[in-house]
Amino acid sequence: MKLHKRKIVPAIVRFLILGFFIVITLYPVFWMIAGSLKSTSEFYQNIWGIPKSFMFSNYISAWQRGNLGGKYINSILTTGLFLLIVIPVNSCAAYVISRLRFKGRVFISTFLLVGMMVPGGVLGMPTYTVALKLGLINSIPGIALVYAGQNISFGVFMLRAFYVGLPASLEEAAMMDGCTRFQSFLRIIMPLTKPGIMIQVIFSGLNIWNEYFLASLMLRTENLKTLPLGLMSFVGEYATDFPQLFAALTAVTLPMIIVYLLAQKQFIRGLTAGSTKG
Amino acid sequence: MIKKLKQKDGLFPYYMTAPALILFTAFIVCPFVYGVYTSFFKWDGLSSMKWLGLQNYLFVLQDNAFWAALKNTFVYAIVITIFKNGIGLALALLLMGQKRGKGFCRTSLYMPVTFSYVVIGVLWTWIYNPTFGILNGLLTKLGLSGLIQGWLSDPNVALYSVAWVDIWKWIGFHMVLYLSAIQAVPEELYEAARIDGASKFREFIHITVPQINSTIVLNVLLAITGAFVNNYNLVNVMTGGGPFGSTEVALTLAVKTAFVYRNVGKANAMSMILFAFVFIIGFLQFKLMTKEDKN
Repeated sequence: MKLHKRKIVPAIVRFLILGFFIVITLYPVFWMIAGSLKSTSEFYQNIWGIPKSFMFSNYISAWQRGNLGGKYINSILTTGLFLLIVIPVNSCAAYVISRLRFKGRVFISTFLLVGMMVPGGVLGMPTYTVALKLGLINSIPGIALVYAGQNISFGVFMLRAFYVGLPASLEEAAMMDGCTRFQSFLRIIMPLTKPGIMIQVIFSGLNIWNEYFLASLMLRTENLKTLPLGLMSFVGEYATDFPQLFAALTAVTLPMIIVYLLAQKQFIRGLTAGSTKG
Repeated sequence: MIKKLKQKDGLFPYYMTAPALILFTAFIVCPFVYGVYTSFFKWDGLSSMKWLGLQNYLFVLQDNAFWAALKNTFVYAIVITIFKNGIGLALALLLMGQKRGKGFCRTSLYMPVTFSYVVIGVLWTWIYNPTFGILNGLLTKLGLSGLIQGWLSDPNVALYSVAWVDIWKWIGFHMVLYLSAIQAVPEELYEAARIDGASKFREFIHITVPQINSTIVLNVLLAITGAFVNNYNLVNVMTGGGPFGSTEVALTLAVKTAFVYRNVGKANAMSMILFAFVFIIGFLQFKLMTKEDKN
């Protein structure tokens, strides 16, 4: 009996604490979705619960008013272009740094890795001034290049760990068969570092998808704004129509939640590995 | 054979690293150098620059607004580091004892990590809303109206309200890191302690903590470096630095100095001072990561 009690009380306390944190995590999300389907008057009267009738029209108005379609395209272009630049660039650099011996190797790798100690955001202001000089302001390829530059150190450092682990005999065999160094890298070695590339795609890709600070400095015209920026201008312009604001928030967040739930293992692994191993 | 391969490589390693070197130089090294350079000038960002020497730094260090912002930056960093790690570690320990629903807990608590700061900033601004927000509504329902605050309008509370949103976003992330570290502690260590009759608390202090030490240090450093940059997003979305400058942090002040007061030189001097602080923490973090890398 005594033993029984000793086990049950901690179990209840544990259940209550975990339950509390799950509720404060999930309820705001539920509240956002519920709010997006209410009419304006119901939004103020029925604060807590499920809407009486679902006002899907909020989504249509929010989508049109905020031009969310255009913002989605801008975000997809920015993140996509960023990944198309940064993955090959980092893979090439990580490959030679970790597998070849050449003059200046230590210097180059140390130089690149010093950037690990610099969180890009702190240099936001001077980065903006440099981008201005280079004519990269108000341009999606421009901001994708800046993002790529900021993600070199992390990516090279992380991918390096994947290249170091592969046996040297792999390329030797390929090169005996007549492959050049680059061909053996492209066809044999790089495909074997897929897990590392996946981590980078998820970790850096999500960071850039959600990036706000530098984007707010660099993308100044309405038709170039990404989703986080678009949401901010929506808040500024239509701050009185709350169900529509919530519809805009949900329209931006819900696809991310679905992708996350479908690929949660890769997300959790990618994001945690991304920030601890690189 | 090896020698042959070496000769074949020629300029190949340099071609391969060139794109990375160029991008890194252009968007990390140049901004740093250019930031240092412009911090010695009086410059509005458009017209010609006027040499000031170290004057900008003197202006910054004599500026009470900067000191207040720097203080807010550190308070914010310390608060979120303590709570992200405290709650994350506590939940990880609780989850260890949970048999059913572990996956559900992890999936739910981790979800906010994927949300943009803008979305959660706007959402929590509404939760904190004095009239329609659910937080004050909940406190009223629970009969705790004494705890009702102007969460974002009271200068004494606003910074902590903003910091909480950052904590809320990252609890699950730190929990997952702690969870995997705790799971890796060999079970035999606990068994031995149990034979000696050690309490749960003593087990935690004498076995768990030393075993997950490097994870704790890494989590703390991750939280601190994140704090210096991410505070810009939430402050900008939720309060704009107000009320009465009570949530102004170093980054928001630097951006205001450049874009509102048109003083890019002084803004970059602020950036460099902040950079020096973050670089020290980043250096420690880098040391730790590369140490793990070698093992």
